[in-house]
Amino acid sequence: MSGKKIDFDEILGKYHSDPYDYVDIHAVHTGVVSFRVKEGDLVDGASGEWRHIPGNQLYEISRERNPKVVTSRTNGTIHSIAAELEGQFVEAGEKLLTIRHPLKKKEIIESILKEVLVLFPAPERAKYYFALDVQSRIEKKGARAVTIEPGDEIITMSLMKRDTPVYYSGEAGVIHSIYFTPGISVDQGEPLIGVCSHDKLPLIQKIITKVKADWDKISSEQEAAA
Amino acid sequence: MDCGDWLSPRSLLRSLQRDEFDDRKSDFSPEIIHEILSFGAVVGSSIDCHCCLDRAMDEARRLISDNDRKNCSTESGRVILAERMEQARGRFARSWHAPIGGLWGCLILADTLLPEASRLLPLALGVAGCEAVAKLGGGPVTVRWVNDLLLGSSKLGGFLAEQYFSPVHGESFHLLGFGINVNNHQFPSGLAEQPTSLALATGRKIDLAPFSLLFLRKLAWNYGLICFEEKQMLAGEPFSGHDGAHALLSRWRELSDTIGRRVAYGYDIQKNLQYRATVTGLSADGGLQLLLDDGSTIVEHSGELRYLD
Repeated sequence: MSGKKIDFDEILGKYHSDPYDYVDIHAVHTGVVSFRVKEGDLVDGASGEWRHIPGNQLYEISRERNPKVVTSRTNGTIHSIAAELEGQFVEAGEKLLTIRHPLKKKEIIESILKEVLVLFPAPERAKYYFALDVQSRIEKKGARAVTIEPGDEIITMSLMKRDTPVYYSGEAGVIHSIYFTPGISVDQGEPLIGVCSHDKLPLIQKIITKVKADWDKISSEQEAAA
Repeated sequence: MDCGDWLSPRSLLRSLQRDEFDDRKSDFSPEIIHEILSFGAVVGSSIDCHCCLDRAMDEARRLISDNDRKNCSTESGRVILAERMEQARGRFARSWHAPIGGLWGCLILADTLLPEASRLLPLALGVAGCEAVAKLGGGPVTVRWVNDLLLGSSKLGGFLAEQYFSPVHGESFHLLGFGINVNNHQFPSGLAEQPTSLALATGRKIDLAPFSLLFLRKLAWNYGLICFEEKQMLAGEPFSGHDGAHALLSRWRELSDTIGRRVAYGYDIQKNLQYRATVTGLSADGGLQLLLDDGSTIVEHSGELRYLD
């Protein structure tokens, strides 16, 4: 967790007034773009036990007569689209559209936690598992009792049956959230774990309790109004 | 272990220049062979032979760490061999039986490859093992993705690839572990897969030192091939395998019967079989393309297989 003050009321208020995540979709590389969706379309994300069934097609990008179709990884509504780029050549990383994804209670809690925890990202798209020592400590005491420090070998990255130790670089603390499952691939840059310093743990728990209570209150009010 | 004259950096280099050149001249031009061999010649820059080690990978880590603390770098291409290993293990801390008679060891390579290239090192191990056994006339040897060495349906060898960072300076190394059952013929009961050895399969004792030299020679070639193809990629030139494919992947396809097979897949298959599928191909980056029973497809870049047919 960073040392800066976090206004939890403001964060919670933001999710109350607009319980959506806005997912920007960018060009994966240079090429000519052709959209497969329009504003207001509903799209589904990847599905299947290993998220191996692709979501709806969003756009096709063609480079040197080599077309690539990019699919949605999340469900939601097409909120905005850069329609002026249809048929145009774009640079890698250019924003093409935004998906408005409705958040569930669990996702809101996760989103808030991701704002307040130190997130340790995956260095490459690969499969990950905890280092043997860390795994054994987690099994004995639970992740939230396992303290890690910068330089600790915490995770093993497995790619093509080649194991690479991954060393923690971040603020010392306990492993509060685990975002990967052994055997399921994690994309580069996605968080593997969320770490929280010992003294901030009660505050984190308070946030979770408050979000749950607020959410349940809103839900029951909505049910009563209906 | 007495390496003797049979198994020295000099004999390996001589064998590379003479025998490996002959083995490859029907597939590559002399200029390309020389270039690939010059990349691969680092393998076996020094060869340590031990009577007994706990684990060759641990010995490699110890060497790298000791050198690092003395502000020295460990030479790339160093090979560590042991007649027997007391605490050998495979992935996920599975025990590996490594008595006298087998080829047990580890190759240390400085991490000088791009990630796209270094991810193919495990495939190079499998291809090298397969080529060495085939060259010896060891029988119907194949490689099962990623790099399990099978003789018929029995397991002949296994390989392990790990990255290691030196403790003081953080220098990165690839540690390539190899274990091939050569003359050993007794195995512990209760192994997950039926094991075999070259001696059992051929009915004759194999001269271990020349076979070790042969394996290291094949490993040197295949490592050189990865370096050469990396150079091609960086120069914007086509790969040198069939139809412009990466030559190591082309060779892997020739030596493997995984494609087209019905398989069980699991990240750690002994603990958790995740699904059954049919293998449809190998992707350009070495990933395994699978067709699931619901008609969807998936590409795996890690994990293990067992054949079901």
